[in-house]
Amino acid sequence: MKRRSFVQKGILLTGATIIAPSLIAQTSHEKKRKIKQLTILHTNDTHSTIEPFPANHSKFPGKGGVVNRFNLIQKIRSEEENVLLLDAGDIFQGTPYFNMFGGVIEMKAMTKMGYDAATMGNHDFDGGMDGFLKAKEYADFPFLCSNYDFSATILKNQTQDSLIKEIGGLKVGIFGIGVELKGLVPDDKFGETVYLDPITSANRVALELKKKGCDLIICLSHLGYQYESDKISDLKLAAATKNIHLIIGGHTHTFLEKPTEVKNSEGQIVLVNQVGWGGIHLGRIDFDIEMKRFNSKQVVEIQ
Amino acid sequence: MFRFFVYIILTGAGLTACSSVSTYRISSERIDVVSNGASPSSLDSLIQPYQDSVKNEMSEVLALADTNFFIIRKPSGNLNNWVADAIFVNQTRNVRLSEPTFCLLNTGGIRSTLNKGEITKGDIYKLMPFDNELVWVKLPIEVLKDIEDYLMTKGGEPISNATMKASNLEINGMRKESTHFWVITSDYLMNGGDNMRFFEKRVDVMYPQKLLRDALLEEAKNQGTLISVNENRMNF
Repeated sequence: MKRRSFVQKGILLTGATIIAPSLIAQTSHEKKRKIKQLTILHTNDTHSTIEPFPANHSKFPGKGGVVNRFNLIQKIRSEEENVLLLDAGDIFQGTPYFNMFGGVIEMKAMTKMGYDAATMGNHDFDGGMDGFLKAKEYADFPFLCSNYDFSATILKNQTQDSLIKEIGGLKVGIFGIGVELKGLVPDDKFGETVYLDPITSANRVALELKKKGCDLIICLSHLGYQYESDKISDLKLAAATKNIHLIIGGHTHTFLEKPTEVKNSEGQIVLVNQVGWGGIHLGRIDFDIEMKRFNSKQVVEIQ
Repeated sequence: MFRFFVYIILTGAGLTACSSVSTYRISSERIDVVSNGASPSSLDSLIQPYQDSVKNEMSEVLALADTNFFIIRKPSGNLNNWVADAIFVNQTRNVRLSEPTFCLLNTGGIRSTLNKGEITKGDIYKLMPFDNELVWVKLPIEVLKDIEDYLMTKGGEPISNATMKASNLEINGMRKESTHFWVITSDYLMNGGDNMRFFEKRVDVMYPQKLLRDALLEEAKNQGTLISVNENRMNF
């Protein structure tokens, strides 16, 4: 396994109280007092890729497929206690499975895999909002949409602004930011959906999550990694906001080998990740958490 | 596999006295999704009936490809050309064109490569999964400039029966006295998809009542072996 330390400096993040004092006393068998561990698994732009890519595929022969993904996830779940499984949108469209079954099999498979949350990508509107609703009946995980106002549509109250997961002694806040639909999705498919500014929305919901005591705040974004134009992207969102620790992106089908570090509006580091498309890769980010106590007067050395 | 580490220190709320501070050691890995040899699971049985239906419906072999077909914005890949040519030929085969006509699509709408080997109905569905309809859009000659600007800005899109040379879009059949031209495209693009706003200046529209995908299915079958054209159509 190739290992590389890619950040030498630490990152100072102000957040809610992280871990109850009672937990601080815990020690593990390791020399370091490792207290909690969280594994985040993520996908984006899976695009109805139910079967693996065919053996004669020019780029991804035999890769992907929901069964392979499921087996991989099961294996990780057997090794790790605290796993969150997230998707950054564009679950629909791309293979005959969507043409023939309208997204039902995608939702059933993701439910079986145990997804905790997803956000909506532009292609998740391809069957219209009614098509999305019909497929969503088979999903037992929430869709998080923080910058689409669906209140005048049939998706009213069908998605959530955010989600708080208490896992492994941590409070993890998750929300979703979508791409502007106008020009990307036929007008009649998103109807009266109101698109709200991603930066304003992300700052609003991240602050709410912080106030609710979240230790870790994750944004599922379908904005796209980066553009040559001024268009809002994950890198821009990361730089212009605060209180977000991790952005799991999608839309641009960007294959990142590792998360990109971006300094947010307060100079703190945000990680931005994306794993291509078609379920070819599963992203994995592990958080190992150790506790120390400091008096606020102390200078916290960032090394 | 690939791992890296980042250390993040989280401090307590509001930096009040005696904040707790935790160090996050973060490692990441991009995992290849491939078979790990696990025995069939409940998910296999869940998708099996769907898989059978798709196989029944989609495995018909329509044609052969003797090379891989790729999308390249500029100078335009053989897949851009194949799709645009197939649509253009399908639509103009039995039509006598009295005004300059070309086909304009978008790379974003071509969703999959075509791989060397047998091309099935399912492959064409993956290439063009959308139920977009074909349209013929009539535009005044001055809109040509808008399309040229669009193509330059976007860095190229699939076209047929026309070539971009420098900043000029040269459509076959264009004459000095031409006042209008026709674009064969999809209803999605005509209605503003991919921000092709110039279609708002249309003066006429014809609806052949056919999906783009159906035209591609027909032409794949007609060709038998798919015609790979590596012509450069975006010279700018």
